[in-house]
Amino acid sequence: MIKFENVEVKFNDNYLLKDLNFTIEKGDKFLIYGQSGIGKTTIFRLLLGFEFPQQGNIYFEEKTLDVNTIWDIRKRVAYVSQNLDIGSGSVSRIIQHAFSYKSNTHLTFSEERLRELLSFFRLKENILSEDFEKLSGGEKQRIAIIIAVLLRRDIFLLDEATSSLDIELKNKVIKHFIEKREWTVLAISHDTVWLSRPGLKVFNLDNNHAHSRNI
Amino acid sequence: MHTPEISNFSLFLCSLLLIIPFIVSIIFKLGIIKSTLTSVVRMAVQLLLIGIFLKYLFQFNSPLVNILWLVIMIVVATFNVTRKIDLRLKTFLLPIFISFIVATFFVIFYFNIFILNLENVVDARFLIVIGGMLLGNSLRGDIIGIENFYRMIKRNENRYLYSLSLGATIMEALSPYFKESLVSALQPTIATMATMGIVFLPGMMTGQILGGVSPILAIKYQIAIMIAIYVSTTIAINLTILLTIRTCFNPYGLLRKETFQ
Repeated sequence: MIKFENVEVKFNDNYLLKDLNFTIEKGDKFLIYGQSGIGKTTIFRLLLGFEFPQQGNIYFEEKTLDVNTIWDIRKRVAYVSQNLDIGSGSVSRIIQHAFSYKSNTHLTFSEERLRELLSFFRLKENILSEDFEKLSGGEKQRIAIIIAVLLRRDIFLLDEATSSLDIELKNKVIKHFIEKREWTVLAISHDTVWLSRPGLKVFNLDNNHAHSRNI
Repeated sequence: MHTPEISNFSLFLCSLLLIIPFIVSIIFKLGIIKSTLTSVVRMAVQLLLIGIFLKYLFQFNSPLVNILWLVIMIVVATFNVTRKIDLRLKTFLLPIFISFIVATFFVIFYFNIFILNLENVVDARFLIVIGGMLLGNSLRGDIIGIENFYRMIKRNENRYLYSLSLGATIMEALSPYFKESLVSALQPTIATMATMGIVFLPGMMTGQILGGVSPILAIKYQIAIMIAIYVSTTIAINLTILLTIRTCFNPYGLLRKETFQ
């Protein structure tokens, strides 16, 4: 479903990613593991067309990721970014905004489903009227996850999506994503809680990186 | 009622008033005598030249020359905008020029034809004077708007990319910044209209009253010109943003780095 073929990204003459090869099948739960600063987030940015490889190809469902396919890919994936500066105004305004885009208007927004998700992720309902920017990191993270789930995409890109959650919630979120068989999940983390979960394909970027650090 | 003549000698008397700021400068060691003198001389020479120029322009009053002169004013205005903003000259020159051409000519012709009912719609007295006022004022709004637009997107890069990741089109993802920059461009004119006549008497109105026009007619002109300024600013800023979006974003919807200087 997603394939990276000899992908290479340079940053100021240094390789950030080199000879990156991996394939993700539909339904895979794929964990990209490794230290900070070795280009994990770049992998997601490449997939979303926010950055481009200098070498190599990226395929999405057999098609090359390029200017013709990128707009459809963005409609297929749900991205929970590590940077949680995702909007301003009340939480419900941010959720409504995500649903206002033409590509999402076919989705019927269900208040009930939202309430279910809020309670599942241990958030109170009155959080909806609160100012998003004033929420704690953990709360923002859960709201971003809820938006991703509400959009009913089948591919999830989770970039350190559980970093600000307590251990109990971390497990709950991870379990939620792993258990859905039809979902394809790509997660980035340097957190061992993820690593210890069964059922994940682990891709250790440290190994890929170590031998290719210098040109 | 007519405007009293200012003779060259009277102008000399007026310049004697400058002795007051000079004394102040000497007492407080401000050191601004030289720069004041240079500025006053520059002002006098520049205005003298433009005065002579306008005199002949008005006398000659050829439609083609009048329009050409307005276009030259727009070219100068365009360079002024692009020089003041932190954006790349080459990318913005043509879009800003087109925006000002459309905004100024549309409003000035509407003004001259429907409001003033002029027989000669390209009469220098109106085309150039009113065109210049429109231009000068929409210039300010355009600078504020365009600069805010690109700066906000750069500053809120993460939010913008997040909208794209949610499946937004470029226009959908840009719309919050578009709205905000339009408001910021129009806000000064809105504020000026609201305080007009209370805080200060507008220059054009003062000029007309000095020129012997009745205050009632002068305020009518002032109202009309303010509305015209508001409209031409709206057109200019909308067009400038819409025309630059095409070149400043790549087909992936990302803001090109070379947008900024």
